[in-house]
Amino acid sequence: MAGINMANKKQEINTLNVRMKKRRRVKQILVYGLLIVGAFFVMYPFIFMVMNSFKTGPEIMHHPNSLPDEISLRGYIGVFQSLNVFRLFLNTTFVATSVTIMSTIFSAMVAYGIIKTDIPGKKILFRIILGSLMIPEVILLVPRYMMMYTWEWINTYRVLIIPVAISAYNVFLLMQFMRQLEDSFLEAARIDGANEWQIFWKIAIPMSKPALSTVAILTFMGSWNDFLRPLLYIRDESLMTLQLALFQFKEAVPGQNLEQIWAATTMIAIPVVIIYLLLQKNFVKAFTGISLK
Amino acid sequence: MKFIKNLSARQKWGYLFVFPWIIYFSVFLLYPILLSFKNSFLDINLLNPANASFVGFGNWLEIAGDFLFWRSMFNIIYNQLIFIIISFIIGLSFALLLNEVKSGGAVFRTIYFLPVITSITVAMIIFDFLSGPQGPVQSLLINLGILDKGIFWRFSKWLPMPILAVFNSWKWFGVQTIIFLGGLNSINPRLYEAADVDGAGWFKKLFSITIPLLKPQIVFVITINIINGLKMFTEVYMNFDLYGGPHHAGLTPVMYLYAKGFDKMMMGDAATIGVFLAAIIYILTMIELKLFNSNAEDGV
Repeated sequence: MAGINMANKKQEINTLNVRMKKRRRVKQILVYGLLIVGAFFVMYPFIFMVMNSFKTGPEIMHHPNSLPDEISLRGYIGVFQSLNVFRLFLNTTFVATSVTIMSTIFSAMVAYGIIKTDIPGKKILFRIILGSLMIPEVILLVPRYMMMYTWEWINTYRVLIIPVAISAYNVFLLMQFMRQLEDSFLEAARIDGANEWQIFWKIAIPMSKPALSTVAILTFMGSWNDFLRPLLYIRDESLMTLQLALFQFKEAVPGQNLEQIWAATTMIAIPVVIIYLLLQKNFVKAFTGISLK
Repeated sequence: MKFIKNLSARQKWGYLFVFPWIIYFSVFLLYPILLSFKNSFLDINLLNPANASFVGFGNWLEIAGDFLFWRSMFNIIYNQLIFIIISFIIGLSFALLLNEVKSGGAVFRTIYFLPVITSITVAMIIFDFLSGPQGPVQSLLINLGILDKGIFWRFSKWLPMPILAVFNSWKWFGVQTIIFLGGLNSINPRLYEAADVDGAGWFKKLFSITIPLLKPQIVFVITINIINGLKMFTEVYMNFDLYGGPHHAGLTPVMYLYAKGFDKMMMGDAATIGVFLAAIIYILTMIELKLFNSNAEDGV
């Protein structure tokens, strides 16, 4: 009697296990299914863009969703004929790189100065930086423009670089990071007779790499993707950055040359996507403050 | 002089290190802010600043009674309400889904983050075509019988802000997904096991464990969204004229500031809008910090 009962129970547990496994598998399939649907919605606009950049204008109008009949490079050729693509990339890279290098180094210097050099007044400086974090940019828009106007900085590269060559947010992030650097390393170097700049440059900077990469990525992307500042300050085509040029190009291209808009958009979007894919963990961490495995 | 003499070599270097900040702060932050306040009491034209005249609270009163300004405030609140709800639901849903998978999660995360790194300009040009009356989305809706005919949503009185909210949800939900996922990772799985023993269902667990424990992340995401949302400019500038289209349905406060300052050259009015908006953003930031400091340990 007892034996039968045991056997029954075992079977019950077995079927329960099988059922649970089945349920788990169904659940997993459902989860992956939904994730794929999400991925499709995210990717679709990009796929749409690349696909249409290889079509001709009329084909885009009539069959926007199909693969191109034959690969047409008319769009790309058109863009190269009417836009100085090389120059635009050069301008944007120059501006974004200058801003990134300056802002990263200056912000690191300030963070180090406040956290590690024990200067009188460091507490006040710290509070000023915290306060500056809370200054909304909108309040600066008009007065900065007026300053730039009177200084005759309008329509120069420096107007896109100097006013953002350091940032409270970057200083803040780096201060938070440098706080965790062991003072004993720095002290050892001090005893060896290194001056403060050498300690900063040879010890603090290499040790702060994770935070520096976050700061550099955010600054570079902010400058690269910036639209408002070039719109306000840049008039000459020769100084224009990609985002502003793309917008003006889109407004100016006649309807029958639709393919050129898609080609230009693709050319501007893809390099960023490639850099992102190469450094994606750093990007995600920079934008969210979270590093996932 | 004595002060300098008493400093150690390290401290002298220290002042050199913080020097860039002192310059930057005084020239590019403090001075423009003071200028902003000053201009908000002046009738001042950009091209002729010497002819400025003092108008007291005139600009402030004018803005307070300006229909377009309040329309722009209404628009941004309308937009943000929809954006915050949609992006929260999408962001949390995909975080929950990603939390369920053991492999392949990284690939999906990478994909969901693509719109975040894409510039608004690029994303908006694609979106513009996709959402147009001849674009694939409306064609699909017409084929499904949901729409009768194509809609020029830019000319509509109520549609622009919800549609831009959908655009921004697509663009930004990836950030929220990652932040929520980070929060989910820190929840102790034992809590769910205990709930399982009590026979709690999926929804019960979501609302009594997951969402309460994600509170710091949720508060963070929502306040950041509001603060960033109030600054919306490029999205509307690319789609409308400076006054937000025929019904001003696409007008945002920052674009109105831009229109006042750089179209009408009325720098006093523009400065007033800037100070006003800054005050609102400042108050919201303070509230955020208050809410946040109580949870500083598990903050993001």
